[in-house]
Amino acid sequence: MSILLILSKQKLFKANVRQDPLISNLRAAMTETNHSESIPVAGNRRSFVAKMVAMVTGGIALLVPLVSGLVVFLNPLWRKAKSPKIRVALLSQVPADGVPRYFPVRADRNDAWNRYSQQRIGAVYLLREPGQQERGQPPVAFAAKCPHAGCFIGHTPGSEVFQCPCHTSAFHLDGTRVHGDAEVSPRDMDRLPVELKPIGSMLPQGIASTETPSLEKDHVDPTSEHPSNNNPVRVNSVGVGVEEDVEIWVEYIEFQTGHKQQIRSV
Amino acid sequence: MGGVHRVSNRSQTADSIRMISLVRNLAHWFDDRTGLGQLVREALYEPIPGGARWRYVWGSTLVLTFFTQVVTGFFLWMNYSPSTQTAWESVYYIQHELTGGWLLRGIHHYTAQAMVILMIVHLVQVVVDGAYRAPRELNFVLGILLMLVVLGLALTGYLLPWDQKGYWATKVGTELSSQAPMVGTAMKKLAVGGADYGHATLQRFFALHAGLLPGLLILLLVPHMALFRRHGLHVRDTKRRADAMFWPDQVLKDSVAALMVLAAVLALTVASGGAELSAPADPASPYAAARPETYFLFLFQFLKWFPGESEVWGAIVIPTMLLGMLLLMPWIGRTRVGHLLNVLMLFVLLGGAGLLTAQALHDDYFATWHTRDEAPETEPAREKFLQRMEASEQFIQAQHQAEVDALRVIELAGSPGRIPATGALTLVYDDPLLQGPKLFRRHCASCHNYQDLEDPDAQTNIVNRAPTGSNLFGVGSRAWVAGLLDPEQVAGPHYFGYPQSPFLDEDGMVAWVRENIGDVPEEERAELAKKIPRVVAALSAESHLPRQSVLDREDAHLIAEGLNMITEEMGCTDCHKFHDVDYDGGAPDLTGYMSREWLLEFLRNPSADRFYGEENDRMPQFAAHADSRMNQLDEKSLQLIVDWLRGKWYEGDASR
Repeated sequence: MSILLILSKQKLFKANVRQDPLISNLRAAMTETNHSESIPVAGNRRSFVAKMVAMVTGGIALLVPLVSGLVVFLNPLWRKAKSPKIRVALLSQVPADGVPRYFPVRADRNDAWNRYSQQRIGAVYLLREPGQQERGQPPVAFAAKCPHAGCFIGHTPGSEVFQCPCHTSAFHLDGTRVHGDAEVSPRDMDRLPVELKPIGSMLPQGIASTETPSLEKDHVDPTSEHPSNNNPVRVNSVGVGVEEDVEIWVEYIEFQTGHKQQIRSV
Repeated sequence: MGGVHRVSNRSQTADSIRMISLVRNLAHWFDDRTGLGQLVREALYEPIPGGARWRYVWGSTLVLTFFTQVVTGFFLWMNYSPSTQTAWESVYYIQHELTGGWLLRGIHHYTAQAMVILMIVHLVQVVVDGAYRAPRELNFVLGILLMLVVLGLALTGYLLPWDQKGYWATKVGTELSSQAPMVGTAMKKLAVGGADYGHATLQRFFALHAGLLPGLLILLLVPHMALFRRHGLHVRDTKRRADAMFWPDQVLKDSVAALMVLAAVLALTVASGGAELSAPADPASPYAAARPETYFLFLFQFLKWFPGESEVWGAIVIPTMLLGMLLLMPWIGRTRVGHLLNVLMLFVLLGGAGLLTAQALHDDYFATWHTRDEAPETEPAREKFLQRMEASEQFIQAQHQAEVDALRVIELAGSPGRIPATGALTLVYDDPLLQGPKLFRRHCASCHNYQDLEDPDAQTNIVNRAPTGSNLFGVGSRAWVAGLLDPEQVAGPHYFGYPQSPFLDEDGMVAWVRENIGDVPEEERAELAKKIPRVVAALSAESHLPRQSVLDREDAHLIAEGLNMITEEMGCTDCHKFHDVDYDGGAPDLTGYMSREWLLEFLRNPSADRFYGEENDRMPQFAAHADSRMNQLDEKSLQLIVDWLRGKWYEGDASR
């Protein structure tokens, strides 16, 4: 406190009051040329070069940090979406009764610095019409993502339609739009490529599993009358196996929303 | 300034005089070096032609709400952590554990809503008054840009808690942005920070929300206010009253208005218990009630009017055109006709947005105002009505489910186990109470019910109208076992009385119960009435249900008597195996009946000899194979179903 009192006596903070500091400063700035009268003005050419150099050096100084930031910011543009082939279910889990069944799609996923093993990355509806099993056809796989705005399409057991909870798009069980082109969704539900593979195909593609499930293998429960076990079916498309030995693999492609055509997200 | 009295003795008076003069000198020095005093004087002593008025307060309240957001936002920032395993978790911590956290977040949340409303009022006033006309055109443009920044803040803030609501709504938003011509996909990728939602999405949204957008807002707000000062207040009637000064006349009114806004915000915060935090974002769990914030609802509803590929018109083209029109208003409004056109356009715009919002709400809550009986008789109106009902019912159900889920996760997060480092989703996935019903719906509900008969309409019930299996609510409990041994109930739909039930055979369980419990001679009735509760208690005790443990301990003697009856008098062991009494009568083993181990083994393979053996006609073998890849259900799912059926889950104060 006493130091402050002493300071006050020294008049260190005595105001040098002028009429209007702000205005006079502005005025001074505007009448700059008057001040420079005493100093010789540099030649036009030199001033041009100085201006250019100033702009270039200053520009670089400002742009380098901005560009280095933008490069990092734009990083996602160079990343590509993958469409992994994923084992979704056993064939025996999709009885041929024309009822769509919901299966989560699990895959290993990288999120920046984390790797998640077997994370649910989406969902599909699998459906087999009665009789499809005899012909050895794989089930139909519908992506649960709505082609309109990407909401999750729902299906209530027993219902004859798929329904999107967001903008009320409705689809028949074969994936076509209930109201055709008058529907909000620009296209029918996306069908995904399906493959049937014998169990043990978890090896990467190209490395064939040496162990082929035997045709003679005892079927585990011949007495069961559960629909899924009802008629052990030999699946022609993979050539081998009964339903319990067969896995359903789906190529999980993300399509862009809002377009008539299926355009892969890249 | 000059005459400072010099007092010889160092009295207090002299000291204080010196102090005052020091402060005064300091102030003058500061003013001299910065010119700040003049600025403040200019700012405060602005004459207001026609006097201070309440109608001038809106701009000031907006500045004050922004200040509130900066301050509360800063403190939220100190406690927030943007990553997929920590965003929801840190917001949970703010909301439910930090002292006053709910209030802080509540103020931030509701002030954001208030800001949007105040902005609309401000805009309407400027347009109606024609305050955008020359020389204020540029300031109007600045105002519209400010409005966009505020909406951007609202949009980015909605995702940050990383809960189901924000996650799914924002996902739809970014999906829509991808439909912008040419740059759409790139824009979406940049916003999301990759192909998929994840860490990068949160960080980008957060950087925008707490860094770029507020910075931009300040950058626009400073010239907005400077220009406002340059042009002065837009006064319609200068002769209404005597002129007044901004300070203190108008400032008083502004402060009162700001206080009113704050009071409204606080009232909303306290009344609602703070801003909502729904369940943690689950990329694989569809949320059927994903909706944007109320003030974006009109855009959401607008999209329903654009079928097929015309969606881009509703999502991007028309909103952009309308924005362009807004920006051009000052020039359109140069003539009287133009001005009227502007006012008309603004009201059409706001009225339309209001109508769309009302329509969106009406669609979503349709089922609360109507019943299925009101469906029109004629097609196609009938089908349309029923579809609306169903959509609305699903919305309400999803919303309710999300609230229940959220409460549960919050309860788990507050449990002594806390949130694991892998995040709150782990809590969700590992909880029987959350996963049990979902798994039951998918794998069991096509045959079984889960319905509390004492409360048939409970929200937790899972009802199958045509069951082909027993009702599994309270399975193994005394009430459930008692029903099984009740001649009336055992043949009913909740036990074995469904179509083509194998239990209805001559030598089946139903026949046995009817014969041995239902059709006993009158004189044996009293005796049997004593026995049955003991048998029920003993058989039910085999399940070791967590909720019955106290009861079972208390009734130990009753259970001991019952155990004897099962093997001796009742003759259960004529068909069933029970502990040491081994009889292969083909009926399921009653040892540890409905215990965790028993149920797990049963679900794995009900066709095993221990259970139905060859008698099993419909129950799937969910995990009969040694090779897990051939099984329909993995071990964890089985355990979750069984634990849920048996009522074994963490119970905090809320669920108690």
